[in-house]
Amino acid sequence: MFDLFNIYLPIAERDFNALILVAIGFSVGVLGGFFGVGGAWVVTPALNIFGFPMAYAIGTDLAHIFGKSIVATAKHRKMGNVDMKLGIVSIVGSVIGVEIGAQNIMWLTKLGLAGPIVRYTYMALLFGLGIYMLYDYMTKDKRAAAQAAKMAAARAGAAPPARKAWNLPPMMNFPASGITISFWTVTGVFLFTGWLSGFLGVGGGFIRMPALIYLIGCPTAIAVGTDLFSVLFSGAYGCFTYGVKGAVDIVAAIAMLIGASIGAQIGVTAVKYVRGYGIRLLFAIMILMAGLSVLLKQMQVPVFDKVVVMAGALGMCVVIIIQLYRGFKKEKAEKLGH
Amino acid sequence: MILNLMLLLPSLAWAAAGEKVPDMATRTVKVEGLSAINRFFASWYNTNKWVFAIIVTVLMCLVGVAIAAVTDVLLKNIGMEVSKIEHHE
Repeated sequence: MFDLFNIYLPIAERDFNALILVAIGFSVGVLGGFFGVGGAWVVTPALNIFGFPMAYAIGTDLAHIFGKSIVATAKHRKMGNVDMKLGIVSIVGSVIGVEIGAQNIMWLTKLGLAGPIVRYTYMALLFGLGIYMLYDYMTKDKRAAAQAAKMAAARAGAAPPARKAWNLPPMMNFPASGITISFWTVTGVFLFTGWLSGFLGVGGGFIRMPALIYLIGCPTAIAVGTDLFSVLFSGAYGCFTYGVKGAVDIVAAIAMLIGASIGAQIGVTAVKYVRGYGIRLLFAIMILMAGLSVLLKQMQVPVFDKVVVMAGALGMCVVIIIQLYRGFKKEKAEKLGH
Repeated sequence: MILNLMLLLPSLAWAAAGEKVPDMATRTVKVEGLSAINRFFASWYNTNKWVFAIIVTVLMCLVGVAIAAVTDVLLKNIGMEVSKIEHHE
C-alpha cells in the first residue's frame, strides 16, 4: 500500500515515495517556521536514510527551502515578526562574511587541514551555543530578579554606575525590533555569522537566529521572522544556481514543499503561543541534538548520527505541535470566558 | 559563486558518503514514456538549464504561496488565524 505513493522523479530518473518527501518537508517546515531556520541539516541525513540520490539532495532541499521560507516569512510578517531593514543589513553583511569564510576554507584545504578543523569548529559551535542557551534559560529568573532589584535601587536614588554602552556612531535604528545599535556592531555581527556559514559550509540560519537575539538584542520572535527573511534570499539564490547546475529534482522539491508549506504554517502559528524563552529552550535542545549527531558521525558510529538528528527533529515537531494545540485551546477557553 | 563554494564544503568537511557526483551541468535525462508534466520538466532540463532553473524557482514560489493561501483559509476556519503579537520573552 505504501508503494501506491511512489512517484517518478524525472531528473533523478528513479522512483521515490512521495509520502516520505511530504513527511520530511512537513517536519522541516514546522521547525523552520518555529525557529527561523532552513533545516538543511535535517533534510540531508533524512534523504540519505531513505535512499534519495544524494547528488540532488542539496539542490532539491534549497529549492523547497525557498518556497517554504516565502510562506513562513509572509506569515511572520503578519505577526509583526519581520524586521526587513535588519534582514537586508544581515544579508549584505553575511554575503561578504561567507566569501571570506569560503576563501579561508580554500586556503585550509590547500594545507590539507580543512576537514578536521571544520568538523571540530562545527561541534564546538553547536555544543557551545546549545549549552549557553540552556544556561540562559535556566538563569533567566535569577537575572530578572537582579534587574528588578537594580531598578528598585535606582528608584530609591541609589543608582549603580551606568554601564558603558557601545555607542560608536553611526547609530542605526531598527524600529520593528525596537533597537538602536551601532552600525559597527551590526555589521560586525553579520560579517562574523556569514564567515561562520562560509567556513562551516552551512546555510547559517541556526547561527544568525541566536546572533540576532544575543548580539543584536532582538526579541526572540522577531529574530525568528527576520532570520527567515534572510533564508528566503539565500534559498532563492540556491534554488536558481543549483537549477542551472542541473542538481534539482523539481518533482521531489514540489513534494517536499507541499509538506513544508503546511508545516511552516503550523510552526509559525505556534510562535504565537510560546514565549521567547520557551523558543530559546527548544532551540537549545535541538542544536545540542545536532551537535550529538555530528559527534557520532565524527566517531564513525554508523547510522546513529542520522537517527539522532531525525529523532531530534521529529520529537521537536511533536513538542511544537503540542504547544500550538495547548495554546490554541487556552485562547479559545479565554475567549469563551472560562 | 559564494553559494557554490559554501555548498561544496560539506563534502570536504564530512568526507561525505562516497556517492560519486555525476557531471549534472551537461547531463541529459530520458523523456520517452514520461507523463506530460514530467516530459515538460525533462525537456527543458535537457534543452536549456537556465530556463529549467527559472521554471523551478518560479514554480517553488507559486506552489508555496498557493498552499499557504489554502492552509491560511483552513486555519482561519478553525479559529487559528494570526495577527500582530505582543513580544514576551
